[in-house]
Amino acid sequence: MILSLMDHYQERLNGVFQALADPTRRAVIGRLGHGPASISDLAKPFAMALPSFMKHIHFLEESGLIRTSKQGRVRTCTLEKKTFAAVENWLDSQRALWEGRTDRLEHFVLSELDRKDRK
Amino acid sequence: MNRPLNPDLDLSVSRLIKAPRQAVWRAWTDPRCFEQWWLPAPAKCKVVAMELEPGGSFVTQMSEDGEPFGPHVTGCFLAVDDQERIVFTDALTGGWRPADHSFLTAVITFKDHPQGTDYTAYAMHRNQADRKRHEELGFHDGWGTVTEQLAKLVERA
Repeated sequence: MILSLMDHYQERLNGVFQALADPTRRAVIGRLGHGPASISDLAKPFAMALPSFMKHIHFLEESGLIRTSKQGRVRTCTLEKKTFAAVENWLDSQRALWEGRTDRLEHFVLSELDRKDRK
Repeated sequence: MNRPLNPDLDLSVSRLIKAPRQAVWRAWTDPRCFEQWWLPAPAKCKVVAMELEPGGSFVTQMSEDGEPFGPHVTGCFLAVDDQERIVFTDALTGGWRPADHSFLTAVITFKDHPQGTDYTAYAMHRNQADRKRHEELGFHDGWGTVTEQLAKLVERA
């Protein structure tokens, strides 16, 4: 039980780091650091179509870094402070980093093997 | 060597990788392979030095968002046992020279497993003062700084 909770936590943390690996998403988080904002306001500084921008918003929402709520026709985004608190734990962030490296190493080795098998 | 895990400073990540030990070892020790997995995409990794012997220099650089490459890991190998173990630290640089800053020692072990390779990364970090410094670097300066730090944290060894 404890283990699966830890796994879940780890997964979530990895999602957070992935969410932050993108400059647009980092900029959105940075803006939301000053307070909640509507999606149209958030999208203004970016030269991208709204559907592309919405993909970033969905990514951030799924990672648990932000939440959104709709009032009338305006959807507002807010930072999810609980998630940030979890990432603030220093050793956990290091662990997430090593987990990520190990994931990528595993993926790399397996895809190399796969490539050789097909030759 | 017995290393009791200090729960406040150490971490251990283990994985059964379903591939021969030789393949996992190569992914770690061939710089062109290593560059492909050490950092998460889209960040790019460049191996500047990987001298696989005790005292050998270990230097990697990273580039994010198309920026020029900047420092990532600057360290020194402490032990390299063929297909068994790699130990490195950033407390020293190549040729055993003391480094200005130190943060961690990492012990990577590779063991045969009936289904492949038993891979473990064990990282020991310096002390509570470092943690505190790390926290002071912005974690408690308000959300704007927090988020910048978080972004940097995505890959900082």
